[in-house]
Amino acid sequence: MAEIALKNLGHSYFANPKSEEYYALKPVDLVWEDGKTYALLGPSGCGKTTMLNTISGLLHPSHGQLLFDGRDVTQTSTAERNIAQVFQFPVIYTTKTVRGNLSFPLECRNWDPKDIGKRVAEVSELLELDDILDLPARRLTADQKQLISLGRGLVRDDVSAVLLDEPLTVIDPQMKFSLRRKLREINRQTGITMILVTHDQSEAMSFADEVVVMNDGRVQQSGRPEQLFERPENTFVGYFIGSPPINLFNVDVRNDSLVCPALDLSDIPRGQLQPGSLQIGVRPEHLSFSDPTDNGALATVEACEDLGIDKILSLRAANGEFFKVKSRARQKIDIGRKLAISVAAKDVLVFQDGKLA
Amino acid sequence: MLKPKHFFLLPALITLAAIILFPLIFTVRVSFSSWDVFQAGLDFIGGRNYVRLFEDTRFWESLLRLSGMSFITVTLQYVLGFALALAVWKNITGGRVFRVLFLVPMMTTPVVMSVIWRTVFHESLGPANDLLSMIGIGPVPWLSSASGAFISVVIVEVWQWTPFMFLLLLAGLVSLPREPYLAAAIDGASPTRTFWQVTFPLMAPISIGAIIIRLIEASKIMDTVYVMTSGGPGTATETPSYYIYIRGLRDFQVGYSAALSLAYLVLMIITLTIIAKLLMRFLVGKDD
Repeated sequence: MAEIALKNLGHSYFANPKSEEYYALKPVDLVWEDGKTYALLGPSGCGKTTMLNTISGLLHPSHGQLLFDGRDVTQTSTAERNIAQVFQFPVIYTTKTVRGNLSFPLECRNWDPKDIGKRVAEVSELLELDDILDLPARRLTADQKQLISLGRGLVRDDVSAVLLDEPLTVIDPQMKFSLRRKLREINRQTGITMILVTHDQSEAMSFADEVVVMNDGRVQQSGRPEQLFERPENTFVGYFIGSPPINLFNVDVRNDSLVCPALDLSDIPRGQLQPGSLQIGVRPEHLSFSDPTDNGALATVEACEDLGIDKILSLRAANGEFFKVKSRARQKIDIGRKLAISVAAKDVLVFQDGKLA
Repeated sequence: MLKPKHFFLLPALITLAAIILFPLIFTVRVSFSSWDVFQAGLDFIGGRNYVRLFEDTRFWESLLRLSGMSFITVTLQYVLGFALALAVWKNITGGRVFRVLFLVPMMTTPVVMSVIWRTVFHESLGPANDLLSMIGIGPVPWLSSASGAFISVVIVEVWQWTPFMFLLLLAGLVSLPREPYLAAAIDGASPTRTFWQVTFPLMAPISIGAIIIRLIEASKIMDTVYVMTSGGPGTATETPSYYIYIRGLRDFQVGYSAALSLAYLVLMIITLTIIAKLLMRFLVGKDD
């Protein structure tokens, strides 16, 4: 187990990157603390897998340093780094039994057969694979195969971290849930750092102590799930985290306050903010509606999606801006109806040039 | 219901019947006759040809010889082809030239190629013995001794058909997924272990396909034998197809050679099916 530190670490697939754009992973400083669970979240092609592969050593970074507990491992091979990695598609050794699969990494490390047996028994119990140890691995279901992939990482007693590259993509939704819980349990019991790559935000939020959001080869923000939700550092994070995404409204500057015509807000403190490219963001969950009164913002309902317990309303403000509201209200809402919209001052986030002010 | 559109199938059906069905049924009929060079005609002699076949040791010997020859040549072709494919697979820069070069033997006309090899193996005039004499070996009786002739035929077969194995196995290797190799690297597997635990099992289905195709082809081996040794010396390189050729087209025992052909066909179908099943079980696993 180790603390993994990225020091100005970047990677370009080009031999001579001309500018930042040529980097799949732009140089970044980041520390993965020992024993925590992390999620690496971002859209496809944002550099998540590149970052993971540089950590596991399948890829040698073109730039910067990688430190495990302060030891420079930038140029060492995968085997020396003691990293376990689980891939999107379950990888098993088809000719071997479950037991054979689990003991393979230890055989490669020339362990004593007696110790291998003991260790495999421990890990298979942890993964609840102990009653199918002697079945041929190729006959198992996808989620069991994925557990074997994970188990091959866990049997080694020297694992620094387990890297999971979208491991739940091919698993049934039902099994996904229990597998995710199992991953957390294993983390608690063994204290092994886990890094999960995913593009599914609910997966990331429910799995990780800390979520790292990436876009365009750059780390956008890292923090606890509720931090990302409540205080996104930029509009991308606001947009990417949360479903539906954050609502962005135009604002005008009037004396010392900001004015948002769509929500009829006029008393947002301006502080030191300069006019121009200012926006405010409000989560759809933080907006509430009621029957129209004499004052306050009005909006027209354009669509209403019923998600069972939640409703998502698409609304058009009086000044033409479009936004969404997520609500638990049970009443039926007709399209074309006018509603009064309100928001608490603490839930209004001000962005300048796309960054949280 | 017969509709006008079905009549458009007729040309194809007639052709099919004429070139496959008719010869097959006719052969069956001929195999029950005593048709030979003295008395051509379709009489009926019952199963006498088949009884004679069971007592014909020359036929069974040739079958045994063929089994040995196929086993040796196909095994060598598989091992060499796999080795070459692995070599070219990793190193892409020089690969293209080699890929084309490797295919030359396969594209050469069998008779032309056999004539060239017969010259190479000529005892006093061929370059093979000339080269061997430089390092103090020989002269080797390549084509005039029983074992020499057998080995010569094996060498030529391997030389000609290894490229085919190479091509099929390379295509298989190129299409393998990347993840298992990454996983093996993470598990700390050495190159040898990676080959036996990852590459070889993943290649099993295509290996079986390639081996079966080659076995079918090898069981029909005829032109190489005909040109290089004519089955000799004695019957040292005589294969069933060549023996059937002798009985049918040299001795003109048409009825008997028809019986031989059918017996040979049935034996081949049974044997190859069993071999395919065994290979599947051995390489892929019981339940597939």
